[in-house]
Amino acid sequence: MNTIAQIALTVLMFGSLFSVLTLSLNLQYARGGMINFGTVAYFAAGAYAYAIVTQEPPHGLDQYLVGLNAPWWAGFIAAGFAAMAFAFLTGWPTLRLRGEYLALTTFAFAEMLNSLLVNERGIGNGTVGLANVERPDAAILGLSENLVYAGAAFLLMLATAYAFGRLLASPYGRAVDAIRDDEVAAEAIGKDVARLRFQVFVISSIPIGFAGALYAMITTLVNPDLFSAEVTFFVWIALVLGGERTILGAVVGTMALVGFQEVIRAIPFESVRAAEIAAAAEDIVTGALFIVILRWQPFAALARRRHSA
Amino acid sequence: MTLLAQYALTGVVTGCFLILATIGFSLTRQVEGFLNIAHAEMLGVSAFITWGLNAVAGWPIVPSGIVAIVATAFIGLAIGRIVYDPIRKLGPAVVLISSVGVAYVIAGLMHAVIGTGIRTLDIPLATTYKAFGLRITNYQMIVVALAALTGVSLALFLNRTKTGLAIRAMSTNPELAASRGIDVRQTSRATWLLSSGLAGLAGVMLALIATLSTDIAFHQILQILAVAILAGLGSLYSVIVAGLIVGIAMDVSVFWIPAGYRPLIAFAVVIIALLVRPEGLSMMKRS
Repeated sequence: MNTIAQIALTVLMFGSLFSVLTLSLNLQYARGGMINFGTVAYFAAGAYAYAIVTQEPPHGLDQYLVGLNAPWWAGFIAAGFAAMAFAFLTGWPTLRLRGEYLALTTFAFAEMLNSLLVNERGIGNGTVGLANVERPDAAILGLSENLVYAGAAFLLMLATAYAFGRLLASPYGRAVDAIRDDEVAAEAIGKDVARLRFQVFVISSIPIGFAGALYAMITTLVNPDLFSAEVTFFVWIALVLGGERTILGAVVGTMALVGFQEVIRAIPFESVRAAEIAAAAEDIVTGALFIVILRWQPFAALARRRHSA
Repeated sequence: MTLLAQYALTGVVTGCFLILATIGFSLTRQVEGFLNIAHAEMLGVSAFITWGLNAVAGWPIVPSGIVAIVATAFIGLAIGRIVYDPIRKLGPAVVLISSVGVAYVIAGLMHAVIGTGIRTLDIPLATTYKAFGLRITNYQMIVVALAALTGVSLALFLNRTKTGLAIRAMSTNPELAASRGIDVRQTSRATWLLSSGLAGLAGVMLALIATLSTDIAFHQILQILAVAILAGLGSLYSVIVAGLIVGIAMDVSVFWIPAGYRPLIAFAVVIIALLVRPEGLSMMKRS
């Protein structure tokens, strides 16, 4: 019973956290028509910004150069700004590209950031990463740490969903939809297509940065391995799993995927080889799910049916 | 100066390998119309079939390599028919994302069957030749020779044979090709065989010049993508130029900046190319 509650809490925590990423991706792809294959970069930017702003100045064997020792909320805000800044930097040259070219260049930018984090030890100790990232003391609220952080992740998800929901329901959101549906027509009635796309790209990267900060608080560790392209693929799979274009779908898809992974991880293994095979099986099933869902699109069909009814 | 020339020479070898790895990818992009992320995994499949036959079953290297290439070609064809054909109508983005799923499945299967750790082929150690102070191993020369041979025979195939011309027609204008009586399904199958076979060849080369681990494929896809974007996904000849540029740029960069950045250089080249000449890519917008 206890383990089940534990798993449920972990799923809630990481599910909510990654839902923020899925929601942002949903805004970029399903509403903005932009394929961002570098999602992890904004996540990493947020996590590293948080760690750098809150950590103590370097001493002893530390190789990083900057540690501001600021309170956690300053780091949290900095994380949002860092993700936004990186979106500015990457969005400006790439957003004139379309479809798969955009996917490739955003992917390239994410790899470049990862490579920088590995090689420039002055940012965050290179591959070693920054351990013991500071975080607010959960004991103040009189609850267990996991519960507090699961709650925080859930709140961040709700806030993101609410903000995006409001944004898309506004006239601004309709302009965004118009561009996705027919770029030429939108331009003809006076919408600045390039500018709107850029705005959507930057706005949707901010919550990813916040999620990165929260992730750094939860794991108390940031290193380049945590922010590999697998995170990007993970979020994409979650988005496809839940069926694009709905906020609920994005959340449910992420929760289902995180739950699936946590359940596999909770199975005790007798040998290293068995664990290895289980990890491989996780990949195989994830990939197969991906193929099957895209092939038959059950969720999209469901959404259509609900729409027409 | 000799050191710089040595890096440039190594870069040519890297470039030749990248050409072999990317040509199949570009061919798929042109004829099937999508970016096949799982292409790099086919390199891994081929490399490990070679390894299995050579190091485990004790076959000589040449038949192992040939069997691996043929097997990879047919595996690629099967994947193309089963996975990609039914969803092609849903658009390139959907197929692109599906191919990530395929890459996951193949990578997972390889992990399950082979396990982690580093593998090497059961072949003699490389012999190094020296000329003008530059060193090159016999395996590296094989890579360069095969890349050149592949380039020439592919050009002949695409320009002289009926199937080759059909593939070119399909890549330029699928509807027109179909209406002029080209068997679209047959051509598509030929393309899958050809591109996967080329991936198989590149995989065997990879097994020759590198140590093998099951996550090797993922590192290749980054460089393949870099070469493919730089080449503009347009012509196969530009792949040759782009492959050499990326290969040489990566290896020569080691002369000035830390070797850890080597993979990054590939993308730096691409991003600079995009900034300077974005119209070169946007001209080839999917229609």
